[in-house]
Amino acid sequence: MLWSVAALRRSGLLCGRGGGRGLWTGRPKSETDNVKPLVGVKILDLTRVLAGPFATMNLGDLGAEVIKVERPGVGDDTRTWGPPFVGTESTYFLSVNRNKKSIAVNIKDPKGVKIVKELATVCDVFVENYVPGKLTAMGLGYEDVDKVAPHIVYCSITGYGHTGPMSQRAGYDAVASAISGMMHITGPEDGDPVRPGVAMTDLATGLYAYGAVMAGLIQRCKTGKGLFIDCNLLSSQVACLTQVAANYLIDQREGKRWGTAHGSIVPYQAFKTKDGHLVVGAGNNQQFATLCKILNLPELIDDSKYKTNHLRVQNRKELIKILSARFEEEMTATWLCLFEGCGIPYGPINNMKGVFADPQVLHNGLIMEMNHPAVGKISVPGPAVRYSKFKMSEARPPPLLGQHTTHILKEVLRYDDRTIGELLSAGVVTQHEAK
Amino acid sequence: MICINSHNKHSSGAQEAEVEASLNPRRLRPAWATQTCFKSQMKRGERGEGNELMLHPWRNTIETDNVKPLVGVKILDLTRVLAGPFATMNLGDLGAEVIKVERPGVGDDTRTWGPPFVGTESTYFLSVNRNKKSIAVNIKDPKGVKIVKELATVCDVFVENYVPGKLTAMGLGYEDVDKVAPHIVYCSITGYGHTGPMSQRAGYDAVASAISGMMHITGPEDGDPVRPGVAMTDLATGLYAYGAVMAGLIQRCKTGKGLFIDCNLLSSQVACLTQVAANYLIDQREGKRWGTAHGSIVPYQAFKTKDGHLVVGAGNNQQFATLCKILNLPELIDDSKYKTNHLRVQNRKELIKILSARFEEEMTATWLCLFEGCGIPYGPINNMKGVFADPQVLHNGLIMEMNHPAVGKISVPGPAVRYSKFKMSEARPPPLLGQHTTHILKEVLRYDDRTIGELLSAGVVTQHEAK
Repeated sequence: MLWSVAALRRSGLLCGRGGGRGLWTGRPKSETDNVKPLVGVKILDLTRVLAGPFATMNLGDLGAEVIKVERPGVGDDTRTWGPPFVGTESTYFLSVNRNKKSIAVNIKDPKGVKIVKELATVCDVFVENYVPGKLTAMGLGYEDVDKVAPHIVYCSITGYGHTGPMSQRAGYDAVASAISGMMHITGPEDGDPVRPGVAMTDLATGLYAYGAVMAGLIQRCKTGKGLFIDCNLLSSQVACLTQVAANYLIDQREGKRWGTAHGSIVPYQAFKTKDGHLVVGAGNNQQFATLCKILNLPELIDDSKYKTNHLRVQNRKELIKILSARFEEEMTATWLCLFEGCGIPYGPINNMKGVFADPQVLHNGLIMEMNHPAVGKISVPGPAVRYSKFKMSEARPPPLLGQHTTHILKEVLRYDDRTIGELLSAGVVTQHEAK
Repeated sequence: MICINSHNKHSSGAQEAEVEASLNPRRLRPAWATQTCFKSQMKRGERGEGNELMLHPWRNTIETDNVKPLVGVKILDLTRVLAGPFATMNLGDLGAEVIKVERPGVGDDTRTWGPPFVGTESTYFLSVNRNKKSIAVNIKDPKGVKIVKELATVCDVFVENYVPGKLTAMGLGYEDVDKVAPHIVYCSITGYGHTGPMSQRAGYDAVASAISGMMHITGPEDGDPVRPGVAMTDLATGLYAYGAVMAGLIQRCKTGKGLFIDCNLLSSQVACLTQVAANYLIDQREGKRWGTAHGSIVPYQAFKTKDGHLVVGAGNNQQFATLCKILNLPELIDDSKYKTNHLRVQNRKELIKILSARFEEEMTATWLCLFEGCGIPYGPINNMKGVFADPQVLHNGLIMEMNHPAVGKISVPGPAVRYSKFKMSEARPPPLLGQHTTHILKEVLRYDDRTIGELLSAGVVTQHEAK
């Protein structure tokens, strides 16, 4: 993007401290190995809790530099969400904030707003999750930031969207999960709705945002300008309803709870074993036949009632009763043995211990260890995706509150020591003792 | 970002050029790679008619508004079921052209996953395959493999979800495709990963959800595990893939070469375990089921009302105070047992009992009224009817209508994210099996009619009657 940098310089938009420095130019490196896609991209991260931090963490894994802007004193709410805590840090916070720098700035103070705006001029991306209007009131809304940093990719993550009847409402995963229909369709068939065990609505939104930011960067390549992105929990979860929603929209079929089973595929569920559960999925006739062989129920294969998925769905109750009775006769370990190499998907219901002892999980590098300056060695779930031509970013620990304030003011904005001292004294910014 | 036409500038060597020429006699070029940031026709720094600086050579010929990021990107989509199709659908929403390669006769398995069906199409298939072109090719036939390889040379992205090794056996593994199309961003979506002890196992959402710990932590507190009501493991993987493909395209801009991407259900779901996993890894706290509640935040759950449920989240002390006021239980605000989240978690059972009793006294509609404008998150547990009648859902454009050539008007959930500078792709219906076979062979690969006729007769490809 050399031409675009030159153009921006000429137009006078890149000026002052840090002018031109740090703006992502995408200059090709000399070696083509281990070139992370987002090296050189600076992300100004005003998000808190889960969706936003999860998105920026994933972008950081691809090489982006994430500058986390936090409120002095408290910081990101989740720092206090526990137990469990390890030392002063909640595991909640540690789990989604690796590899970020923390600057503690009071954005209710106009001097703090000025700092954030200056950071925006040398960053590529601005991500926030304030209730619509709140940042505008402080002078950090899209229009404000766009004026000083027209190249910025401004990603807004809200509960329901930036406009519309619910746009002013605060959003949390559980509530969005409920309003968006996800909770209604999750739970035992004859029981009450439940939440997915981890905030999948927040996480889906975070993943949409992570992709959307890259889409924004690609688009900026074409137009030379930044843009505004509207991500929200409600839309993300509704979009993820996929066929459950389509069943309703197209066929007026209401959603319902299925326990571990599936509305349109039989058999596809957890079966109780002697000492636990086994989850099995037979999505086509071939797989169903294989299943029957393993269960030593060959008569089911040619039974006209179960010949196709459609028929199996129709005769679900009867078929599941037969299969369930058989599964209950053996221990989970026995079934795992009998199913090995069979070609159909199967597996136990692992608790966390089971997950992180699983050889494939370990092989995939899903335990990421790092040294935290305050609490020592910690482990968090590692990055999900791997690439052939580059390694994911090194495992750097989540920051302490304001751990990098001075560093950022000095190195990124090139403030002198005196100015930094004044801002610290006035409480506009704070610096953690550990650096 | 310097996005070089990798196909031109970075394939070097006479041998490679020869291979290229033999496989690509019609000199086809990947569209995106030629049209992104640099185009040769105009020089940087030139001034246009209005003396504006040429930031982008074709900036004067097209409007900068409504420039979709992935226009010109061609995606060769060999995926089936949910994770892959969901990923490519989202990329299509951003302007990419998605060419869905399907097996003649059956096509994507989910075409038959129902009821419900509408006409010949399952709603399952319709829900995640909008805006794609379908070419029906038999890739077990070497002639079919040749077609797919040729398509790869003119596409930017290759996405597949075969069990590791299966495509290699057919000559369509990464090494094979990389040879003829070194620019290709090859994204593989599997159950567990491309290597490792479980890599050969077929993957389904429910099984991955179970192995990855998701199922264990979902369900009533005193009941059995359940699945999330929609395949969130598949969908999270699809979203990771959608982002990863874009990361791959960005990276290609820097290096001029493609790469291989490993996405899998197991890793995606384990990565999404976030704090539940961290609780275990850092603090050795096992995961458990919480019904609608949360392990670390109280109150944060569904409460039974007289005629339904209300979900409420009070994540800090201020919100808790507000909640108590609305419930007319002000004495709780100063009660030392509930002053901080930490204390509320400790005294969870007692507090929830008090709050629950109060919630059960009124109808959901009354509570919705009382909670309005209060500043804390709250909402009903909507069924599908409730969701798609919700004014905000409608406002967000989450019902996407389109006309399907075989079944008429259908609606599916719309795109989740919106952008200020461009509209999402138009709503085009999911394709019938092989609906675009001839079109693609003719327009993209520039086969002549005779060759196409021969392939159709031999059954290497099939064409749907509706075009």
